[in-house]
Amino acid sequence: MSIASSNASMTVPVATHTGVNAAGLSEKVSIRNLEFFYGDSRALKGINLPLYANKTTAFIGPSGCGKSTLLRILNRMYDLYPGQRATGQVMFDGENLLDAGVDINLLRARIGMVFQKPTPFPMSIYENIAFGIRLYEKLPRSEVDARVEHALRRAALWDEVKDKLAASGLGLSGGQQQRLCIARTVAVKPEVILFDEPCSALDPISTAKIEELIDELKQDYTIVIVTHNMQQAARVSDFTCFMYLGDLIEFDVTEKIFTAPTDKRTQAYITGRFG
Amino acid sequence: MSEVALNDTNVTAGAGVTRASALNRLRTTDVAFRTLTRIAVFTVLALLSGVILALIIGSVPAFKAFGFGFVTTEVWNPVTEKFGALAPVYGTLVTSFIALVIAVPVGLMIAFFLTELCPMWLRRPIGISIELLAGIPSIIYGIWGLFIFAPFVQKYIQPFLIDTFDGVPGLQDVFAGPPYGIGMLTAGFILAIMVLPFITSISRDVFDAVPAVLKEATYGLGCTTWEVFKHVILPYTRVGVIGGVMLGLGRALGETMAVTFVIGNAHTVSASILAPGTTISASIANEFTEAVGDLYTSSLIALGLILFVITFIVLAIARYMLLRLQQKGR
Repeated sequence: MSIASSNASMTVPVATHTGVNAAGLSEKVSIRNLEFFYGDSRALKGINLPLYANKTTAFIGPSGCGKSTLLRILNRMYDLYPGQRATGQVMFDGENLLDAGVDINLLRARIGMVFQKPTPFPMSIYENIAFGIRLYEKLPRSEVDARVEHALRRAALWDEVKDKLAASGLGLSGGQQQRLCIARTVAVKPEVILFDEPCSALDPISTAKIEELIDELKQDYTIVIVTHNMQQAARVSDFTCFMYLGDLIEFDVTEKIFTAPTDKRTQAYITGRFG
Repeated sequence: MSEVALNDTNVTAGAGVTRASALNRLRTTDVAFRTLTRIAVFTVLALLSGVILALIIGSVPAFKAFGFGFVTTEVWNPVTEKFGALAPVYGTLVTSFIALVIAVPVGLMIAFFLTELCPMWLRRPIGISIELLAGIPSIIYGIWGLFIFAPFVQKYIQPFLIDTFDGVPGLQDVFAGPPYGIGMLTAGFILAIMVLPFITSISRDVFDAVPAVLKEATYGLGCTTWEVFKHVILPYTRVGVIGGVMLGLGRALGETMAVTFVIGNAHTVSASILAPGTTISASIANEFTEAVGDLYTSSLIALGLILFVITFIVLAIARYMLLRLQQKGR
């Protein structure tokens, strides 16, 4: 904790952060001098970025800019793949989550993730959610039931599935599956939820539902979303970070990024001149 | 359309003749090729039905003499010409079952290691070595089993099993009797080694087909490797794995040479898996040369027919499972 508090008072040493008035905001995650390598190629170059608690931060940028890479560092998903490594610091509750001693399973429970495509497990709707709960807690059946219901309500899915909890999760529509995945993530009580282009495989109505949901979830969680859709970033996020070729170009309040960006490249991207 | 055709003939009138003859020539080879492919297919089909027919006709005397009781009788006495298939059928099923009990978990673990945990540069060497196991001629497994493995089993494994389960109700009968070395358990071990490559390579292929994002999602919940394997990868690939196991079983059921070396070739049905026994294919291979009477020969052919039916059913189930997996994958 001591590291985290000393860090909060520290001014972020990057010019791109000057626009953010940090008063009243607490940094849930602080990324400092983060570099990332796929083998020998450097995918992220000295990233410095705060993720504020109970706010939604969007990562935007053209394909290959490193925004998904950055997201996947936050729950150490890159650990699954040999040859990928990160240097620098990602402080999360006073602990550098890049440290070798970090319990990765616990970390991933605290920092949940929702993927580009819906990923229901090959089991019933009920089990999809109860599964994650049982990994960490031994609860009586009635309590698991309550947690499952709560998670499904939280993901705005309860009314649609309450009569078919025993049916396979694979039988739901794409949008429902994605909300099931959100419910599953919420059920293990994370502190941060990472969304990796959560709507890219969904129709507009499902997308609207998910966006609404993300907006509600930030009351309880810190949210990070990677998106290709700039309207979506503008709609759901409080802060936006624009990345280009592995560099963090600009980080600011979302409104400012989309109305008065300071960097020419940001402006070119949001007006659709490249990307 | 006709205008174009007319134009074509006018302009290339001279070339048209050679082209027509060329087309003619090509048409002849094409017809020949198509006919050849058909002949190839029908030859194989004819052979298959010929084999089935021969088995059925050959086994008629045995079934006439013993009726359906042939399958349920243990006696196998060439002197009095009393034959029953129970012992070989029982031995075939027991040895194959032992083989699967050992090879399935080991094969699944190897496949999982190869797809998920193994460093990239080691994957190919290990994968190839395991597939090489399938390329070793079965006679080599036979002599290795008889001269090296059976004495080892006799000296270490069987005494250990007999001591361990002595006094345990039920199990003490399964692991009873003197340690001969050769017997159904040893044959099961050898078969396990032989079917391992089948189970491993098919499981590896279906594990590879699990979408990476699904695995990531499971890890993303904080699951350990074991939990990911048990709760997501295995349920997701269940049908394919079963198909692979069935193919392995098909091999185990029909394997002859290696089993004949180490099973002991005794026509008895024994509760103890340490006891010598026989399998269908081992009986046929051992006794065909000495089968003098018509009924003796016919009984061996009937054994063959039974094996054919069992294997056919197992392979049909395997194909069906794999087919369902492919449809699901689409």
